[in-house]
Amino acid sequence: MTLGKFLLGRLGLALLTLWLLSVLVFLASQILPGDVGSKILGPTADKGAIAALNAELGLDRPPLERYIDFATGLLRGDFGESYSQRRAVGPLLLESSLRSLKLAIVAFVIVVPLAVSAGVFAAMKQGRPIDRIITTIGLSAMVVPEFVSGIIVILILGLWLNVFPISATAPAESGLVTQIYHLILPAIPLVFVMFGYIQRVTRASTIEVLRSDYVRTATLKGLNRFTVIRRHVLRNALPSSVTVVATQVGYMFGGLVVIEILFNYKGIGLLLFRATRDKDFPLLASCVMVVGAVYLLFTLMGDLTHSLLNPRFRVGGKR
Amino acid sequence: MSWNPLKDSFRHNVSGPANALIDGYLAGRLDRRTFLRQGTVFGLSLSAMGILGVRADAQDGPVAVKKGGTLRVGVTTPSGPVDPMVAANQGSIAMYQPVGEYLIRAEPDLSLRPFLATEWSSNDAGTVWTFKLRDDVTFQDGQKMTSADVVATFNRLADPDGGSIALSAFRGIIGKNSASAIDDLTVQFELERPVGNFPYLASSDTYSAIILPASYSTGFEEAGFPGTGPLRMKSFSPTAGATFVRNEEYWDKANPAPLDQIDFIFFADETPALLALQGSEIDVVYQVSVQNGRAVVNNPAYKMVGTRSAASRPLHLRTDTGPWMDKRVRQALAYTVDRTGVVDGLMQGYAEIGNDSPFAPIFPVTNPDVPQRQLDLDKARALLAEAGVPDGFKTSLNVINTLEVPAYATVLQAGAAKVGIDLDIILQDGGTYYGDGQFGSSPWLDSTAGITDFGHRSIPNVYLTAQFQSDGVWNSSHLNDPEIDKEIGEFLATVEFEAQRKIATSLQEKFMDLTPTIYSAFLQFVFVTGANVGGVVPNSSGQLFLGQAGFVE
Repeated sequence: MTLGKFLLGRLGLALLTLWLLSVLVFLASQILPGDVGSKILGPTADKGAIAALNAELGLDRPPLERYIDFATGLLRGDFGESYSQRRAVGPLLLESSLRSLKLAIVAFVIVVPLAVSAGVFAAMKQGRPIDRIITTIGLSAMVVPEFVSGIIVILILGLWLNVFPISATAPAESGLVTQIYHLILPAIPLVFVMFGYIQRVTRASTIEVLRSDYVRTATLKGLNRFTVIRRHVLRNALPSSVTVVATQVGYMFGGLVVIEILFNYKGIGLLLFRATRDKDFPLLASCVMVVGAVYLLFTLMGDLTHSLLNPRFRVGGKR
Repeated sequence: MSWNPLKDSFRHNVSGPANALIDGYLAGRLDRRTFLRQGTVFGLSLSAMGILGVRADAQDGPVAVKKGGTLRVGVTTPSGPVDPMVAANQGSIAMYQPVGEYLIRAEPDLSLRPFLATEWSSNDAGTVWTFKLRDDVTFQDGQKMTSADVVATFNRLADPDGGSIALSAFRGIIGKNSASAIDDLTVQFELERPVGNFPYLASSDTYSAIILPASYSTGFEEAGFPGTGPLRMKSFSPTAGATFVRNEEYWDKANPAPLDQIDFIFFADETPALLALQGSEIDVVYQVSVQNGRAVVNNPAYKMVGTRSAASRPLHLRTDTGPWMDKRVRQALAYTVDRTGVVDGLMQGYAEIGNDSPFAPIFPVTNPDVPQRQLDLDKARALLAEAGVPDGFKTSLNVINTLEVPAYATVLQAGAAKVGIDLDIILQDGGTYYGDGQFGSSPWLDSTAGITDFGHRSIPNVYLTAQFQSDGVWNSSHLNDPEIDKEIGEFLATVEFEAQRKIATSLQEKFMDLTPTIYSAFLQFVFVTGANVGGVVPNSSGQLFLGQAGFVE
């Protein structure tokens, strides 16, 4: 199979997945309790006003018709209009997605080098106290919920030591450095969550590679330790870490509701949360589709990187 | 009281209901404060009441604030468009508040303060109300405000087909042609039925009633936030926040906004807003729950301010079916409620005790002499025994999951357990609890018992008609009592204050006797500011007026 064919196949599958996702979201949004009009105007609003609003939003039309409208709009690149916000979904989505992307990048830039080096280091010191310490720290950090670690870092770094701003949103017209400065505090709980995961996978695959014949050969033929690690160990151990990182992108991009609430960051997680609460189908479905697309894209990119790093897995390559 | 030649001529010029109120005060049947508050409703100005020898409370003068500065206010993210016609959430309402002004402003003590209207009065029947407007008001685009703008604003909000958020208050009282211009500065409302408290409906209490230009039809954001207010919109993002700057052309030259700028920062939750306050990233948190605000209550760097209101967490009990059908069982539950505990413990004193009727202590019409229902477990047990359930029973209690309501439900559950009533709490989010708000498909209206969160109204009318009339749209206790229906009708139609209070007293007693709903407390609207902030004026409906806010000297 050539790379082109592989890519086309995966893309086709991704589109099918996205379509199924849109159907699922639509069905789920039908089950959500409450009525859109009374959610927006409040349950005690005048019944006539609620009915008028529902009619204006087109909610009196059959569900299938509304779904087809939404789906065909999506194909044209039109995300429709939010029920609750009464404005086009596109700009809302773009604004929030860019914010989420920024936070995800800052978190990844911190956690990936840290966790990978910790994983390799722990593997090399396997069984020694430092290995246990690193692994224990990683595991403990992983099980602490974000809202707990979030509050702790706010209290310590934001309020007591006052070294980082609490709000993740930098004032309007801030430069890139200020924006990144504001994102460090919210990135820390994410680093906690992901560090243990990436570190463990890296450690496990590194240990496996360290035990392999070719590493022993490389060591025996007199290569220095650093060269062995760089040329032989990392190259073979990293693909597993890349896969793990890629699968975390979806969560990092669209699943940070708690972090976004706590640090008052208007990312896509928060938008998604509000869309669900308001039963705002166009907004909800658009958010889910974007998060789904990002997830699929990064999984695909992960697979590609995986194969580039490891010729054995390269599609079309000789085994 | 000494004879005053002005007094008689003055009394010739006021309406029948106003004169009746004056009689009630002079005869000693009304206390001074009730007279002052209710006097403003009938359009008696404080100076006019001064002629009668009534002195207003010595007010704390406005806090001196310095000119300049940027105030940063944390508020809930608007969950809908900024449009007075449809906005029902605090975030959206807060966005038009700095640019909008009302005919009358309802003050924290529910007295009415002239704003864009200078005076108002009614005919004796309370069916025709006339408002005089200030002659120096201009919109932010420089156009003069006239009666045509006021007429258009109210007729738009009251149009039964217009879908406005004010319809729940206006329907049956005013319609799309009820307001008319007598001259450039006089507006007349012809009501569909007599309403003695109509000025409240024309005041900031109807938060959507900011006066907009007659040319305005829809699309507040697109129109650039039109209004007459002391601040103008500079930028607005529906997800992040908004900036308002001083309106240098403000009509009230004596009272320009002290602040250069107000930045609103949107928050999804109050916890991060309170953290941001403590991190000095904002200066004001628009509204907090007492529970979360506790973190800052005892810190002198912050001020937590409570404003009395009629907001409550009524617990309805079905009167037509299920375990609460017998009124003695309902009364028994009411006697298990530790009201002082709710007010002092759960609400930290930011509330006042309720007496199982919607007549909150803040309403002037509420009779404070109706005996207060107290915690009395022996009486509760005796009532249960009389009703044939001496050992109590197990039943479910639907509870809306918002703010302190789940904690309140737990307090009630513990009290009920002491007499053997085992309340099984079913927590439901707002969407599930309210359902579609119709009988038959809403746990709020269908459950045998449920706790709802009700916001403030400055007059009890909507609570009475919607919650307690047999055909009321929110009649969750399914009360069907012809006597109560009749008295509610009389209450609404009565214009004279003392006559209305007499009916209110009878209703208060009937509600206590039948106990279709338990009201243990009426909550305060609470906000927090840094200690260096002054001039923020709250009102009971949960609005902050920031036009005169600033940093203290």
